[in-house]
Amino acid sequence: MAKQITLTHEGKTYVLEYTRKSIEQMERSGFRIEDITEKPITALPTLFAGAFLANERWTKRTVIDDIFDNIVNKTELIGKLAELYNEPLASMLEEPEEDEKNVGWEATF
Amino acid sequence: MGGDLLAEEEPSPTDTPQSMTEVFYEHFPYYLALGMTEWQYWHGDCTLVKHYREAEKIRNRKKNSEFHLQGMYIYEALVCVSPLLHAFAKKGTKAHPYTDKPYPLDKVEAKKYEEEKRKKEKARAREVFDAMVAALAARGLKEESEGIDD
Repeated sequence: MAKQITLTHEGKTYVLEYTRKSIEQMERSGFRIEDITEKPITALPTLFAGAFLANERWTKRTVIDDIFDNIVNKTELIGKLAELYNEPLASMLEEPEEDEKNVGWEATF
Repeated sequence: MGGDLLAEEEPSPTDTPQSMTEVFYEHFPYYLALGMTEWQYWHGDCTLVKHYREAEKIRNRKKNSEFHLQGMYIYEALVCVSPLLHAFAKKGTKAHPYTDKPYPLDKVEAKKYEEEKRKKEKARAREVFDAMVAALAARGLKEESEGIDD
């Protein structure tokens, strides 16, 4: 099951998700994931709006921007959105077969 | 340290990284070949591709087992007819009987197969034993009658 984010705004529940098609549409309209670090002010609302394309296509941009402006825990949300955005690609990467040569890793943050 | 990494050539303009869209289009035919629909690939659950890949692995394993089994049947058939293939085979040489049933594929089937085989062997032994008893009885009767005649 694909990862999703559910949020409620003015009594309406929105299910946010990225599909390959919505990512294609975003990239076609000029969005690049690198922009999140290079131009966060414009890229983050676009990333957020792109998550509406899959299931909430007909939501107006003004409503999306209003939701984004009023959202709490924005930093955490952005992290989750990036994870969500990466999923359609990550799901296509094959895990290597179990082998002695496999390289494990762990983060300290 | 890290000299090798730093010494790498500057990337040429043609080395630009692929966009996600390009990767999606590159893999699209592969997933179509696995049986995914266009809608499932582009609009459906993005993790579905993993399951299609897993299903493909299972399909390949199954196909491999089928080929192996087919090879076993062919091998057995060759073993069965091998006496006939002998250049200096005696006249009247017969082929060994080919298996009358398919090979069991699971434990339950194997158990059933073994049970039937045992029953058959038991029945054959019984037949041999009965024949022996009948032959002995016939010989006994003959000797008896010969004794009476004397």
